[in-house]
Amino acid sequence: MDVNLNEQQEMLKKMARDFLISECPKSLVRAMETDEIGYPLELWHKIADLGWPGLAIPKRYGGEEGSFLDLVVLLEEMGRACFPGPFFPTVILGASAILEAGSDEQKKDILPKIANGGLLLTLALAEQDAQYEPDNISTKATACKDGYVISGTKLFVPDARVADYMVCVARTSDISNKEQGLSLFLVDGKSQGIVFTPLQTIAGGKQYEVILDKVVVPPQRLLGSPGQGWYYMKKVLQKAAVAKCAEMVGGAEYVLEMTINYAKERVQFERPIGSFQAIQHHCANMATDVDGARLITHEAAWMLSEGLPCTKEIAMAKAWVSDAYHRVTTLGHQIHAGVGFIVDHDMPLYFRRAKEAEVIFGDADFSREIVAQELGL
Amino acid sequence: MDFRFTEEEEAFRKEVRGWMKKEITPELRQDMEGLSWIRANDKPHTARIREFGLKLGSKGWLGMNWPKKYGGQERSIIEQYIVVEEVAFQWIVIPNHYAVSMEGPCILRHGSEEQKMDYLPRICRGEVELALGYTEPDAGSDLASLQMRAVPDGDDYVLNGQKTFNTSCHYADYHWLAARTKFDVPKHRGISMFIVDLKSPGITIRPLYTMAGGRTNEVYYDNVRVPKENLVGEENRGWFYVVEALDYERVMTFLPAPLQFMVDELVKYAKETRRDGRILAEDPIIRQKLAELAIELEVARLLHYRALVMLDKEVIGNYEPAMMKLFAGEVAQRLTNTGMQILGPFGLLQENSKWVPLKGRIETGYRATLMHTFGAGSSELMRNIIATRGFGLPTR
Repeated sequence: MDVNLNEQQEMLKKMARDFLISECPKSLVRAMETDEIGYPLELWHKIADLGWPGLAIPKRYGGEEGSFLDLVVLLEEMGRACFPGPFFPTVILGASAILEAGSDEQKKDILPKIANGGLLLTLALAEQDAQYEPDNISTKATACKDGYVISGTKLFVPDARVADYMVCVARTSDISNKEQGLSLFLVDGKSQGIVFTPLQTIAGGKQYEVILDKVVVPPQRLLGSPGQGWYYMKKVLQKAAVAKCAEMVGGAEYVLEMTINYAKERVQFERPIGSFQAIQHHCANMATDVDGARLITHEAAWMLSEGLPCTKEIAMAKAWVSDAYHRVTTLGHQIHAGVGFIVDHDMPLYFRRAKEAEVIFGDADFSREIVAQELGL
Repeated sequence: MDFRFTEEEEAFRKEVRGWMKKEITPELRQDMEGLSWIRANDKPHTARIREFGLKLGSKGWLGMNWPKKYGGQERSIIEQYIVVEEVAFQWIVIPNHYAVSMEGPCILRHGSEEQKMDYLPRICRGEVELALGYTEPDAGSDLASLQMRAVPDGDDYVLNGQKTFNTSCHYADYHWLAARTKFDVPKHRGISMFIVDLKSPGITIRPLYTMAGGRTNEVYYDNVRVPKENLVGEENRGWFYVVEALDYERVMTFLPAPLQFMVDELVKYAKETRRDGRILAEDPIIRQKLAELAIELEVARLLHYRALVMLDKEVIGNYEPAMMKLFAGEVAQRLTNTGMQILGPFGLLQENSKWVPLKGRIETGYRATLMHTFGAGSSELMRNIIATRGFGLPTR
């Protein structure tokens, strides 16, 4: 039993933290919230030079061949820094979908470009009910002489505007088992018939409504076997859930540190407020949530990396970390009180992101239902 | 990173489990039912319980990580934990659990050579139990303010004072006693540890019956003479031994294992029970509640194993055992309360009713786990430790 990162992972963590402290200050994070594109190209090129987009891509496709757990270490630091930009959609959603579903040819074509930072991807999955279930996907892909024609409306597509390709989940046949009629397509973002509308959200992330109106996709852009799309998507969503947990853990850890520091410095009634047990107990509760969240995320990430069956552990992690991050940011605000309520403070950055991360890729209720199924209920 | 036990450890677990299946007869289970840690219930040990302890000893499963010369096996603390955990899964206890898990390790680190040769082999053989002697009427959370006096007199110390909530004194062989030996110093610098024969003249033990159906004790010392060689470690250093042993107590006693047993039983109950014309497990509220219990237990397990690995590597965790105990204690209460909600009126029934579900263990657990948030250090103290020792918040 060993619950610690290995030496290389500790080095990666330290390197990523130092890099993000100098290259991704909070002023940049704030500026990007209102920026149309949402990320600075220069920063993207720098992380590409560090090999981050290709960290967990196999060597033969131009990556570093790290494990999913390595990626989780990096994502914790990104969550800590509120890293702006299309890393998550490109690497976690896009590259994972191609790794799961793509042919060798497609992998050779796409993955090296992702690894060197030259290509951005996203995932167009959710529709009008905004659920991560196959039943209500009604976007249709119909075979035609040039390949497929896709029509439908997708919601909450991250960084759609800048993505070179969208992995689009569409229905290719109407059969009674709805899981089986879905297929994945790699849709060129510049195709005719696509309209992007930004969605303003609590976290200032770049989320879009994407309307596809008779978008033609060539046959070689079908990913994996037709009708098997949900089978691949389940695996992508599992990675996405753990990756989101990692971002939350990094953010929660930073909120805890920031809050502890404030409690040591802030003096009221002639003493630091951190000397009051009421404040100490809030901090202890936050620390317990942070440590529990980190352990359960690492367990799920480690199991994924080892190829062990872990549907239950992933759902447990997403349920627990979603709730825990919410509690941590709420208590952090309680201790910071007025100063944390001011828009220039860092606390709001985390509070708003915590809520987004909580509901995206399955909230706690959704995840607990998966746990219930895994318990045999 | 590896969240598994090693293959050797898993093989050992299998061996222990197989042995338990054979050794735990219905009669022994009957004797032990009330003894499970979750009830904090201590009847005097029956002959069967004593025999079970001796058998564990003859297997070499007590004091496993101690040196061979003191009766141990020089195996890892993880393997000792596996025995403790497997016993807890069976809803029973190691008859001399405190000696094995708390006092033994402390004697090993701070005791004299004579003490090690005297007590440790007997603990390893399952022959003796040492009861904790810390709490006093005016020294609860503020344990360092204890007033039991030990005054040197010739070859002895003479002890006077009162202890309370000293569980298992009515059947243990020795008292692991904290007493004051210096009076003109800060309170935590004047405490010493003694091993006292509980049959010594001048000791009076009176029962306190708990709402969990168990027994703890008040213990009175009236001019009790304790030989000087029974002082453990250095005089006036006792407080530091107490604090150290508390980490062992937290890790070795507040296990998630019996809670796992309860969640498994509740899941089974939900799958087999019909209410309002449908299986309980089909109710989305029940599904959410049971899933949440399973998740909380997983977090408790992980916090627990982290603290255990630190003990194994002899890293003294500055807050990890406290965090694990805080979390597990609160989970135990939420679990039994949720269990009561799921069982409804049947949850009210006690273990001898013909209608009782799950042998009444949820009902007893519901009463017993109240203790988990104040026994072995209250949740508030755990939070103080996490905040001050763990994260450096100022004490004033």
